[in-house]
Amino acid sequence: MSRIGLLVPSSNTTVEPEFYRALPNEVTLHVARLHLSQIATDSIAGMVSDIEQRSRDLATADVDVIVLGAAAPSFLKGLGYDREMAKKIEAASGKRATTTSTALVEALKHLGVSRVVLGAAYDDKVNAIAKNFLEVNGFNVLAAHGLGLVDNLVVGRLDASSAYDLARKIDRPDAEAIVLACTNWKTMDVIERLERELNKPVLSTTQVSIWAALRAIGRVEGVPGYGRLLRDLAAPSKQTQLA
Amino acid sequence: MYGWRGRIGLLVPSINTTMETEFWRIAPEGVSVHTARIAGGREGTPEELRNMENASKKAAEEVGMVEPDVVVYGCTSGSFFEGPAWNKKICEQLTAITKAPTVTTAGAMVACLMAGGHKKVDVVTPYVEVTNERLKQFAKAHGVEVAKLGTFDMLDMFDHAKILPEEIYAKVKEMTTPDSEAVFVACTQLRALEVLDMLERDLGKPVYSAVQASAWQAYAAMNVDPKIMDCGSLLRKLSEPDSHKIAVKHLRSA
Repeated sequence: MSRIGLLVPSSNTTVEPEFYRALPNEVTLHVARLHLSQIATDSIAGMVSDIEQRSRDLATADVDVIVLGAAAPSFLKGLGYDREMAKKIEAASGKRATTTSTALVEALKHLGVSRVVLGAAYDDKVNAIAKNFLEVNGFNVLAAHGLGLVDNLVVGRLDASSAYDLARKIDRPDAEAIVLACTNWKTMDVIERLERELNKPVLSTTQVSIWAALRAIGRVEGVPGYGRLLRDLAAPSKQTQLA
Repeated sequence: MYGWRGRIGLLVPSINTTMETEFWRIAPEGVSVHTARIAGGREGTPEELRNMENASKKAAEEVGMVEPDVVVYGCTSGSFFEGPAWNKKICEQLTAITKAPTVTTAGAMVACLMAGGHKKVDVVTPYVEVTNERLKQFAKAHGVEVAKLGTFDMLDMFDHAKILPEEIYAKVKEMTTPDSEAVFVACTQLRALEVLDMLERDLGKPVYSAVQASAWQAYAAMNVDPKIMDCGSLLRKLSEPDSHKIAVKHLRSA
């Protein structure tokens, strides 16, 4: 048995159910919440004020790893901010930690991808920060489109077809992969279909968070149904092969 | 939105590893569980249990943001420890914060015993003596006598989850007598849910648990028939006509 600890923005209704559905039976999920209502820069920055207390709470449940399961709160301040958040969690809890944005960078490197298109639930301001985060981490963002949403509850009400439609719209032949950002946006149900139709990896911030959590607990059996990243957990990293 | 049929806001003691797992395991299509943690330590000392009342307010503010249809305060001792008025205060506070009806485990415990018409029951707990005495008083205040009480006698609340379902099965079976009408297994950290059906079949009387009773009231409050057929007679009753009304009535009276 392994235990995954997940820090969730308080108004997020999506990441918890999508983790539960994808996790194997022998892995349990334990959630703590951090206050967030709007996906706007001041609100996102404020969300992490409780991160140490809530990380300690998860540590009392003796979780094996803690994941900050939120994209914007882990990329907000650019290069290294994600790792800064992970370090904060680790220092407070004494547990290993990672974040959604760290997982996204690692997953893209793992697949050997450098040119991507970015689709997000965010407004232009937050989406520009997301795009910049990927670029300073060494990726070429060919195009970035957001749905323009700020109210997090509204994002949770979107149907997964909104992710499918946006991914189809932003894809272009020179993109090696598609990135769908925001863990409150339903993406998991359309990844497999998109990969089949577009014949390239589709990464969502929820999917990469699950991937990073499972790797952190040493899981090697893949999880089918949510794209190639989770299906081939034991697959060697493309980057490692090149090195 | 996930939870289009019902969203449960679940507050658990931070050390609890059982209740969110069991709530997700039984959640039917369209029902989602959103957890927030009540900050606290590992040992269920009187001071720790009393502190949960205050700490639960912050957890309720967090989980209230998903606009839940019901809020569950998922801790038995943390809701009975200071008696019925304290339990009622917790319900009122959490409902004021979340704008949703509140179910507490202690309230659900007495509600299911009262709904079953039981006057004399056996109880299994992981608690130390002071906590067991408080449980008996709480039940008595609702007209239910605890005939026999069997305990694993452990102060460390995290370790309660290490007690295996088969150990709970054995404990219930060895301690209960024909003298009692039913058995209640207290503590949302005890993994009792998966042995309730077997115990009921093997003992020939109702056997309830903390997680099960909390779920029973939560589904009734949401007016959702979860069709849970393998976690004891109490949850099966939710799939009978008019069962929701019974559970809701006891939610109000407990």
